[in-house]
Amino acid sequence: MNKKSHLYRFLEIIPGSISWGVIIGLILLAFFNPVGCAIFIIIFDFYWIIRTTYLTMLLVLARQKLAHVKDKDWLKSCQALPCAGRFEKLYHLVLFPVYNEGLDVLRPSLEALNRSDYPKEKIIVVLTFEERNPHCRANALELEKEFAGKFSLCVSTFHPDGLSGESRTKGANATWGAKFAKKLIDQKGIDYASVVISCFDADTCVEQEYFGCLSYNFLTSSAPHQASYQPMPVYNNNIWQAPSFARIVEISGSFCQMTESMRLEKFVTFSSHSMSFKTLVEIDYWPTDMISDDSVIYWKAFLYYNGAYRVVPLYITVSMDVAYSNTIIKTMAMQYKQKRRWAWGVENFPFLVSAFLSGSRIAWQVKLRRGFQLLESHVTWAIWAVILVLIGPLPLICGGNFFSQMTIGYNLPKITGLLVNFTLFTTLVWVILSRSILPHRPKGINRLKNVLMVLEWFTVPFIILILGSTPALDAQTRLLLGKYMEFNPTQKGIKCYNK
Amino acid sequence: MIVFQRIRAVLFYLSILVFFIGLPFILLFALGYKFNPHSLKFTKTGLIFLKTQPEGANIYLNKKLLKEKTPASIQELLPGSYTIRLEMEDYYTWTSPVEVEAGKVSRIDKIILFPLRPEFKQLNQENVSSFRFYAQAGLIYYLDEVELVVYQTDINGNNFQDVAALPENFLNIQDWDVSHDLTKLFLFNNHQVAVISLESPDIYSYSDVPVYLDYPKSKVLKVFWHSDSYHLVVITNKNIEVVEARSQSPRVSLARLKSESLTAFYDQERDMLYFTYPLQDESSGKNNLYKLSISPELYLFDIPLK
Repeated sequence: MNKKSHLYRFLEIIPGSISWGVIIGLILLAFFNPVGCAIFIIIFDFYWIIRTTYLTMLLVLARQKLAHVKDKDWLKSCQALPCAGRFEKLYHLVLFPVYNEGLDVLRPSLEALNRSDYPKEKIIVVLTFEERNPHCRANALELEKEFAGKFSLCVSTFHPDGLSGESRTKGANATWGAKFAKKLIDQKGIDYASVVISCFDADTCVEQEYFGCLSYNFLTSSAPHQASYQPMPVYNNNIWQAPSFARIVEISGSFCQMTESMRLEKFVTFSSHSMSFKTLVEIDYWPTDMISDDSVIYWKAFLYYNGAYRVVPLYITVSMDVAYSNTIIKTMAMQYKQKRRWAWGVENFPFLVSAFLSGSRIAWQVKLRRGFQLLESHVTWAIWAVILVLIGPLPLICGGNFFSQMTIGYNLPKITGLLVNFTLFTTLVWVILSRSILPHRPKGINRLKNVLMVLEWFTVPFIILILGSTPALDAQTRLLLGKYMEFNPTQKGIKCYNK
Repeated sequence: MIVFQRIRAVLFYLSILVFFIGLPFILLFALGYKFNPHSLKFTKTGLIFLKTQPEGANIYLNKKLLKEKTPASIQELLPGSYTIRLEMEDYYTWTSPVEVEAGKVSRIDKIILFPLRPEFKQLNQENVSSFRFYAQAGLIYYLDEVELVVYQTDINGNNFQDVAALPENFLNIQDWDVSHDLTKLFLFNNHQVAVISLESPDIYSYSDVPVYLDYPKSKVLKVFWHSDSYHLVVITNKNIEVVEARSQSPRVSLARLKSESLTAFYDQERDMLYFTYPLQDESSGKNNLYKLSISPELYLFDIPLK
């Protein structure tokens, strides 16, 4: 291991060490100084309530923004732009990296593309299958046949397994697909600067106006090639069929992205998103050995442009599948693995900081701010639920009679109880907002499910206990110990796209 | 988007403001500090927590009626001595001085307010000389030494019924007890132990003959039922013996005694007799406490199985 590798390994250890340090430190503090621990818990609880309230207000703003542009005719807006000539030349390359998703998942995604109001002759679809999937060629053949002539191109490519320097990641497959698409674009003689690539999860179903919205934002952006374009992910494909537990988790995920879209200085790409093809080629595609391809592509571009790269939120939704299985335990396990994979985004921290330290020309204030934001977000993710749920009662348990006879010992449960009750108010806002992003109830689904969908929010404390911090703590511990994760795609539920 | 970002900036700074303004107040409250407007200083206070049974009593702090009713915590009290008076209609008033220390809770959470007019209920329907309470069985046994009858009810006085007759001419009853299985009752005086059958209380016969155990040359001090409800442990001024509760039964003397001044307790769970016995110099008033095992495993009695 060379010197840089030592540094990289050290940076990998930092997030997990801080998270575990805080947790173990607080447990020890609860034993040896319960008053000190209680003071910390009160400060943290108050901070959390302020933070939750603030983020809920941002969520309301994001929802407002989403509603505000809902009926906008994006194509008309594009045509009315002074740079309408650029619009005429604009192509959309849609890349679907596919691992083991079958036709039941892929077909509705392509059908949604086909329903798009954007001129189809300007849409190139590339399905990039993992060659190790035995059904890939048959699926590719069937889809190519079914969608032939419906787009400018609809072609498939097959990513060979075990290429040198690659791990089994989605990023490796996406890079293979993008390089394949580059050849097609070269053959057609299209300028890379006139191509916007959308890298979609296999289950992503776009809204009809998606490409219009994307084109408008691309064309009106001050530096269109120095930005990624992030739609709002919702999990509406099968949300009415999914069990309560999974539904709540996925809606919370959508809420997180909507909230993040209001914090532009921290906004990072997630899941299905779009960017300039020119930029993608210049930054040499996705890393082929990292799991969190969706966020690391942003950081690659950010480093390439010396910090002058941003994510533009698209206030339009793309719909994906809720991950669930046929039993609650399997669903929990599936959700846990999916969240752990998301939390593996912590691998971006050593990637980013090591790049910062190796002579990047980004201003040190920006380096410090972005590095801290990345670290803080992952550490907070790994500890917040542990502090609220597990460490919160520790001073009372460990402090014994001495602590309970003190004013703070008496007031601690009252104050935390009051603060927790306050979160019920924010939960009420979430319930209302969740209803507003829900698609219409499909035929065959009982009306009573409407009631269930409200009541299920009472399971939030239980979900927090399982999926609040543990997946993030798990991911950070693995990174700390050098037990690197392999990409393990989530098995999606049955797709019932609500047209 | 710019408008939204401006709103967001306002919300962000507002949140920070609320956090930094609110946090000191929350922490000071949690730690029991109170702002003293006269001295313009924060003073560490204590609190009194009161809980009564029944709840809902009016609280007077140094004669001043508070809004809260029990259970309640009286917060932000400066350290010192206070008088708490709890009042509730139809209940005795509870009053006590309470010391408040800085940063501490004076917890008084086991207050029982007793009613002014307690509820009385007469349980017996015939004369009662003495009674025994058997919580586990939910029964009360009564002895009427005038009419020579044993009665039984449940613990609320229901199902009052006579269950046995006392032997005639059995005078100066010292003590009595019902066996563990509730089928027999012994009573004793200075020189005799009588055992009466309580079996089948509905069909008992007054003509059932009691079993008499005579101690003509010694004085009976204490008698206990063995856990098998068949043997009796009899302590006299001369010995401790185990005897079967039937006529002409064999007697086993476990210890010889030379004193009448002893106290004894029989643990029926473990069949252990605990008793005090004076040291050799009885006049010194000093005693030892002994434990004597009377378990069937130790003494190979022929215990009939029920």
